Amino acid sequence: MTRLIALWRKETLALLRDRHGLAALFAMPIIFILVMTMALHDAFMPGAAIDVGYAIVDLDHSPHSQSLVRRLNKAGSFRHVASADNPDTARQAIRDGRYALVLVLPKGFGERLLAPGGADGQPTEPLGLFVDPTLNPALQLAFRTQTSAALGTLRADELTRQAGKLFGLPVAANAPDREWPDEIVTVAVQNDRSIRPPSSVQQNVPAWLVFAMFFVVIPISAILIVERQQGTLSRLAAMGLPFRLVLLGKLLPFFIVNQIQAVLMVGVGLFVVPLFGGEALVMPQGMGLVHWWLVSMAVSLAAVACALLVASLARTTQQATIVGGVGNILMGAIGGIMVPKFMMPAAMQTLAEFSPMAWGLQGFHTVMLRHDGFAAILPVLLQLLAFAVAALAAAIWLNHRQSA
Amino acid sequence: MLRIDGVSFRYRDAGTPALDGVTLDIPAGGVYGLLGPNGAGKTTLISILAGLQTATGGRITFNGRPLAEARAAEPRAIALVPQDYAFYPMLTVAENLDFFGGALGLERRERQAQIESAIAFARLEQVTRKPAEQLSGGLRRRLNLAIGLLGRPRLLLLDEPTVGVDPQSRRFLLDAIAGLPASGTSVIYTSHYMEEVEAICQRVAIVDQGKVLSEGALDALLRCDESVVELELGAELPAELAARHAAVGEGGLHYRLKLATPAALPRLLDDLAAAGCAVQQLKVGRENLEHLFMRLTRRSLRD
Repeated sequence: MTRLIALWRKETLALLRDRHGLAALFAMPIIFILVMTMALHDAFMPGAAIDVGYAIVDLDHSPHSQSLVRRLNKAGSFRHVASADNPDTARQAIRDGRYALVLVLPKGFGERLLAPGGADGQPTEPLGLFVDPTLNPALQLAFRTQTSAALGTLRADELTRQAGKLFGLPVAANAPDREWPDEIVTVAVQNDRSIRPPSSVQQNVPAWLVFAMFFVVIPISAILIVERQQGTLSRLAAMGLPFRLVLLGKLLPFFIVNQIQAVLMVGVGLFVVPLFGGEALVMPQGMGLVHWWLVSMAVSLAAVACALLVASLARTTQQATIVGGVGNILMGAIGGIMVPKFMMPAAMQTLAEFSPMAWGLQGFHTVMLRHDGFAAILPVLLQLLAFAVAALAAAIWLNHRQSA
Repeated sequence: MLRIDGVSFRYRDAGTPALDGVTLDIPAGGVYGLLGPNGAGKTTLISILAGLQTATGGRITFNGRPLAEARAAEPRAIALVPQDYAFYPMLTVAENLDFFGGALGLERRERQAQIESAIAFARLEQVTRKPAEQLSGGLRRRLNLAIGLLGRPRLLLLDEPTVGVDPQSRRFLLDAIAGLPASGTSVIYTSHYMEEVEAICQRVAIVDQGKVLSEGALDALLRCDESVVELELGAELPAELAARHAAVGEGGLHYRLKLATPAALPRLLDDLAAAGCAVQQLKVGRENLEHLFMRLTRRSLRD
C-alpha cells in the first residue's frame, strides 16, 4: 500500500504542475459546452424561429393587404424586419444585405383578391418576392409556402364575409382576422426507438464530458513517456515494482480527475449555461443519478485505459499528443460528440457504434433522456469495461515486449 | 558476493549475442570497474543484474543464491543508478526522494531517516525544495545517486554516473562513491573515463563484443614488464636514443621505450640529461589503464 500511495501522490503532484494537461482536462470542455450549447441552441428545437428577416412593400394599403401582413407576422417563423415604400429601395436593401426576403403587394391587391381575372378584364398583377440568392433555397420555398398559406386564409375569410353579405347575414364592419387553428403538428420520427432528441445542453454536457474524459491521454502520456525516456520505469522495475502496479498507480488519480470533470461539467450545465441564456441541464434523480455515475465510471475506466495504451504505443510526447489528440477528435467526430448521432445519416450512425465515446454518450442519454433502469445501461457498461480491459492488457503486453 | 558464470544474452532479432559466456567474480567491499567500448555489453550486463533482463544462458548468484531468488528475498539489496536522470523533473528534490522511498516500500519513519541520510550523503540540503528540472548537471547526478542509496543497497550498480558534470562535482561524486564500500555498499561502476576507474576501482573487468577480455585486481592488470619505460620529456627525443630503445611516439613529447634490461634505466636518464632533454614524467613497470584498454579492445571506432 505504501507503494501505491507513493505512486498516487506522485501522479497527483505531476498533474497539478502540468498546466497544459489541466487546461485540456478542465478549461477546454467547459468552453466547448458553453460555446456549443449556445451555438446549437436552435438546432435542437423543432419549429424554432428561423433567424431570417423579411420586408414588405405594401403598394395597396388596403385592409386586405394589411390583414395579409398581420397573418404573416403571426406565423412567426420568419422575422418581419421592416416595411419599405417602393420596390426599388427594397431591391437595393437586399443588395446591401439588409434583408433576405422582400414581399411586394401590388396595387389593387385587395380589390382583386377574389377576382383572379380582374373585374375589368385586366390580368391581376402577381405578388412579387425578391430574394437574396445566397439564402438557403429551402428557406425561400418555406417563405413562399407560408405566404401562400396566409393568402389562402385571407381569401377564405373574405369569401365567408362576402357570402355572408350575399345572404344578408349581419357582418361587423371591422371583423378581426379569424384565427385558423394550426392543424399541422410536427413529430420528429427518430430511428433510435423514437426517443425525444436531446436539447442542446443535454447533448453537449455529456458529449463534451465524454470527450474531456478521453483527453486524460495528454497528461498520462506526458508522464509515462518521460518515465520511459528517462529510465525512471527501468529504475522502478529494478526496485521490484511491477509494471502493472505502475499502471494501477495511474488509474486511480486519473479516475478521480475524470469524476471531478463530471461534477464540474454537470455544474456548468446546471448553473453556468442558464446564465448565458441557455436551458439548464436536467439531471436524473434517485437511482437514475446512481446509474448516471455508473456510466461516468465506465467511461473513465475506458478513457484511462485507452490513454495508457496510446502512451505505451507512442515513442515521444509529440507522437502521443498527435495520436491521442487526433484519435480523440476522430472518435468524437464519428461518435456523435461534435455532430449528434441522431443528425447523422444511417451509415454514419452505424460507424458511430465503433467509437467508445458513442457508447459512453449513449449510456448518458439512456439515463438522462429515457430514464431507463440498470438493465438498459448494462450493455454499454459492459462494452466500455471490455474495451478498458482489452486496452490495459494491450498496454501491459506492449511494455513487456519493449523491455524484452 | 556476486558470481557471474558463463552468462549469455541475445536481444530479439539481433544477429550476434550482446553477452557471450561472461564469467566474473565480484567480491564484496570494493568498487568494481566495468570497462568496455560502446556496445560492449556493459549496460546489458547491468540490466541483467538489476533484474530488467533475464540472461538466456549461464548462472548468476548473489551471496550464494540464484540472482532471481536473492532479488525476490531482498528486493532492496541491489540498486540501479541509470545513466539517465531517472527521476521526475516536475517534482522537487524532496518529493522525488519521498516518492522513490515510497516506491521501495519504506514505511514513513524509515523513509524519512533514509531520505535525510541520502540528502546529507549527496549534499543536497540547499536544494530540497527546488524542482529537479531546475538543477544543474552536477546536482542532478547527485540526486540520481542519492535515490539509488535510499534502500541501503548491498550492491549499487552505477552506469556512467559522472557524465556531463563539472570537475568539482565529478571529484565530489568520485570521493562519495569511493567511500561507499566502507558503509557496507559494494559498487559496480561502468565508465568511459579511465582515470576515474583507475582512481576508485580496486578490481576491473574489460569487456568487448560481449566477452571478458581481461579481469582482475587493477594493480595486477596494470603491472607490466619493467623494461618498458614511459616518458614525458621537455624536448624531442634524440633520434639516436629513439633508435637504440625502439621508441614509439605516443603523441606530443610522450614516448614509450624498450630497455634491454631494467638495469639500463640509469644510463638512459644520463643520456637524456646529456642531450638536454629534461624528464618531466617517468613510469616504469606500470601500464596506463587507457593503454591496456586500447591494446585489448583495439583502436578502431565502434559507432
